[in-house]
Amino acid sequence: MMTWLSHHRQAFMATLMRMGKTPYATLFAIIAIGVALSLPAGLFVLLQNVTRLAAGLPAQPEISVFMQQNASQSDISALRQRLQARTDLSKVRFVPRADALAALSKQAGISDLTAGLSDNPLPDSWIIIPAQSDAQNLTRIATDIRGWPQVAEVQDDSQWAQRLTALLGMGRNLVWVLASLLGAALVAVSGNTIRLQILTRREEIEVSRLIGATDRYIRRPFLYFGVIQGLFGGFTAWLIVLVSVRLLDQQASKLAALYNSPSHLTGLGWAEAGILLAIAAALGWLGAFLAVNRSLRLIESR
Amino acid sequence: MIRFEAVTKRYPGGYEALSKASFEITSGEMVFLSGPSGAGKSTLLKLIAAIERPTSGTVTVNSQNVGKMRRAAVPYLRRNIGLIFQDHKLLFDRSVIHNVLLPLLIAGFPRQEAAGRARAALDKVGLLKREKVNPITLSGGEQQRLCIARAIVSRPSLVLADEPTGNLDAEYARDIMDMFKAFNQVGVTLVIASHDENAIRSYGSRVIHLEQGAILP
Repeated sequence: MMTWLSHHRQAFMATLMRMGKTPYATLFAIIAIGVALSLPAGLFVLLQNVTRLAAGLPAQPEISVFMQQNASQSDISALRQRLQARTDLSKVRFVPRADALAALSKQAGISDLTAGLSDNPLPDSWIIIPAQSDAQNLTRIATDIRGWPQVAEVQDDSQWAQRLTALLGMGRNLVWVLASLLGAALVAVSGNTIRLQILTRREEIEVSRLIGATDRYIRRPFLYFGVIQGLFGGFTAWLIVLVSVRLLDQQASKLAALYNSPSHLTGLGWAEAGILLAIAAALGWLGAFLAVNRSLRLIESR
Repeated sequence: MIRFEAVTKRYPGGYEALSKASFEITSGEMVFLSGPSGAGKSTLLKLIAAIERPTSGTVTVNSQNVGKMRRAAVPYLRRNIGLIFQDHKLLFDRSVIHNVLLPLLIAGFPRQEAAGRARAALDKVGLLKREKVNPITLSGGEQQRLCIARAIVSRPSLVLADEPTGNLDAEYARDIMDMFKAFNQVGVTLVIASHDENAIRSYGSRVIHLEQGAILP
């Protein structure tokens, strides 16, 4: 146990010293790993923020039902009865065509236009709010009402909700694709730096082998190197995301203020930062492990 | 301690370095392997330390079948064998004392104890004053002695030396041979490969003579 501990301590210190001996190579490798990891991490943060903002939008999507131009008063009351009979609606509001025109006239620049109209071109309409606001429900209700008599058009808001959901889903997939690709890149970067190290320490490995070093003993410092390099890279990625979020937040809050929704971008949480570091360390280890095993086999067969 | 039974080693390409070699070396013996270069002396030593595996026959060291030993067990066999190479195989990226420390650190000795042992080994070969220098600054004879210090520092019961005096002048060679004799007197088994027949004869130890991969009677 003590032997094991002292071996690990030795390997750890030796790794830090070795990194100190080649500061530039180490720095470049760490930056490469950091940038590679910051892309999926940054995209993840972006998605988190968009998801959060989307949840804060008016939660109750509406459906607008426009009647035929020639709909009579009795058509309107028939429709009112049918709408109110439905249990899946939480609110039904009637907008007479005259009110609609009046509201339109109030808007700047349109009043002149509406004044010149001899006839009201707007239909009577309804604004209904479904009891449940999921996209599926919205679509079902809209399709239902679209088939009723005297209904000219039904616009449901579910489309943008669906689109946003689809976009967010795509974004999440993109995070996974990016993370896998750049994770592979990290393994390659780690493997390559380790391979170069092994080349420069080939003699030491051969001699150690001859005087009774186990594969584990030989592998250990390289695995340490991979893990520590990965950790530094993960930390760099965390810093990049942190700084980017800070920089973007200034503009984002200005933008949000214009929309009357004061909000701030959130960065990576502690747990997420921990996961980022753990993944970086694990991938660094994997790259080192693959490189070292391959090199050990090559040295063996010589 | 060491037993070879009809051991043949054929290298890829068909070159037969050792043909049906059989012999036994008991614990505490000092044995010379003689013969011209290319006779199979190095191959024989490599087979004992499991650096090479026999093509056929069995190699037994400390009642372990070395030829069929699991890869993972080989390091533990080697920790009990001191290897001395003609080309020294020293590491020039570290000081003399760190070269000697390496086997002890690999075997997991605590630093303090390892440092004490390494100094004792350096003292034995007369290099204690040079412990902090880089081995590249040592002469050929000193490098060979450093290699010996590294081989004996973990107090192995078996020492294998491949042409330890190969490119040294007679006086240095004599020093080293005397050192080996001293180890042998404290119970270490030694197998020394050398093509220098005269030196071998003057020691009066047992000689295994190899010629083209075969042991001559």
